[in-house]
Amino acid sequence: MPIHEKSLIRPENLREQENLVIEGMDVSGHWSTFIESRAVTDYNEALQEEIAALPGGENIHRCWQCGSCTNACTVNAVNPEFNPRYWIYLIRLGMEDELLRDKDIIWQCVSCNKCTYACPRDVVPEGVMKATAHWLELKGHTPKSPSMLFDEVFAGQVIKTGRIEDGLVLRDFFKRTGQPLNQPWLVAMVLGLVKRFPLAYLIKLGIATIRPDRTRGWGRARDAINEYAEEVEAQNRKALGLGAKGAK
Amino acid sequence: MSEPILIVGGGPAGLSAAHAAASAGRKVILVEKEDRLGGAPILSGYARLVPSHEWAADAIGAMVKRVVENPNVEVRLNTQVQAFSGEPGAFTATLKDGGNISAASTILTTGFTHFDSVNKPEWGFGTYPDVVTTTQVEQMISSGRGVRCPSDGRKPDRVAILLCVGSRDRQIGREWCSKICCTVSSNLAMEIREELPNSNVYIYYMDIRTFGLYEGEFYWGSQEEYKVKYIKARIAEVTSDGKRLLVKGEDTLVKRPISIPFDMVVHAVGMDPNVDNMTLSSVFGVDLNKYGYIGRANTYTTLCQTSRPGVFVAGAASGPETIDDSIAQGSAAAIAALNFAAGAVSAAAE
Repeated sequence: MPIHEKSLIRPENLREQENLVIEGMDVSGHWSTFIESRAVTDYNEALQEEIAALPGGENIHRCWQCGSCTNACTVNAVNPEFNPRYWIYLIRLGMEDELLRDKDIIWQCVSCNKCTYACPRDVVPEGVMKATAHWLELKGHTPKSPSMLFDEVFAGQVIKTGRIEDGLVLRDFFKRTGQPLNQPWLVAMVLGLVKRFPLAYLIKLGIATIRPDRTRGWGRARDAINEYAEEVEAQNRKALGLGAKGAK
Repeated sequence: MSEPILIVGGGPAGLSAAHAAASAGRKVILVEKEDRLGGAPILSGYARLVPSHEWAADAIGAMVKRVVENPNVEVRLNTQVQAFSGEPGAFTATLKDGGNISAASTILTTGFTHFDSVNKPEWGFGTYPDVVTTTQVEQMISSGRGVRCPSDGRKPDRVAILLCVGSRDRQIGREWCSKICCTVSSNLAMEIREELPNSNVYIYYMDIRTFGLYEGEFYWGSQEEYKVKYIKARIAEVTSDGKRLLVKGEDTLVKRPISIPFDMVVHAVGMDPNVDNMTLSSVFGVDLNKYGYIGRANTYTTLCQTSRPGVFVAGAASGPETIDDSIAQGSAAAIAALNFAAGAVSAAAE
């Protein structure tokens, strides 16, 4: 019988024996092809609640699968594989394995929020995408993205000193993403600065690089922010059944 | 005054019609084939009713009491109408236990029959003890025993409710939607979750028809408050892996086959035409519609008119119906019968 839904056959589910002889009949190679079942055999009943516990995912239970979000989606117009409606369904039913297959696409949401305005049930799909990306990361399914690392370096410095020292952000970011400091565009920029900047500014800049400025009396604000961040992190981890590792 | 009104069937529609006609001062004779009044909600042991959440025994019990205590109503239990003859305004009904009744007009409130799930053997009813019907779950709840797997009395962790069992199915000649099963199932799902908070309840559907205001309380309430999951799939078969029930089908929204274990599978059984409808049709000389329910002559001028003048119909006898609409139709039929009888009398006087 011909196979009508070839698109549903996944390469990893195809099984072939390189050398196989059955009752004297050589059925090596594609003669021995068979397809492993792709049946859903279990639901992860906790999945929806885990996503709902993360910021942005609160309203996922409202979805009725109309597809307005996917229809409105900026990313879907470029990549048809990007389908918020489908992921919301997988999460609501707890089809975790299926969701993980798309872990490298889900974070591509550009947060344009067109879906948020199209959704008749106020699910806030953009928030759900954010929560899902966060979930994937907390569970260790996806590594931290470069933009996430940048955010961490940036926010880390603000929280620590109450200020931003651009040069330090750049250096830390390069270090964490394994990029060399000696990049042509950066060298050109620094040389340009040295050539054109008044000496007094350059001296100030140099001192700031070695010993960054701090906002006076920042300590209490820092402690409060850290406390809150740790609290939220601990909450999120607890909701996902992860150990209380705390904020870093 | 003129002859009494004969009402056949003591369920919600019949009780409502009897109350309405008797309250208007008319003599009513209520014939019921079973040994008590109340109809399906009482005879089948329903639990809490949609949409009031009142226990059936209380809600319908009050209707029974009201009718029984009305001096204008004469109740005849354990009997059926065997023969029916005469003209509008002067009918004669012969009962099975002997005796004739003279009636000016008649209202048929003969109700429906629950679909027998044995007719869909692929869904395991009759083969596996833990495959039950919505009616059985109603009984588990109304009896106070709680929802338990019939095989060993354990509390089910995972319950699947299959919708449209005996409805919307050309294979078995039932093309109609039974109207109430979606709402009843979501209501039952909430009751199961309330009794067994650790359980997970899944409803397998093709379309969800929790019509009108049921959308909020039942469809969304079951999902938002009670975490009931709705999966768009028509189940192909229910088997067993020796320990638990195995439900197979296709999740059509993700185009993936399903093969999932459950502790209990509940058939949301539909409403069949009353198995006695062929007999009723020939005894009372009324036409059935193409589905086998008692046919209505028209929709707008006289809601409850059958093909035979002077014989009216109300409730699930004429098609799948909710309890509250059956009650409303009972009243409408009573008004129609009263007017009709009065018209017949004045026509005779002229």
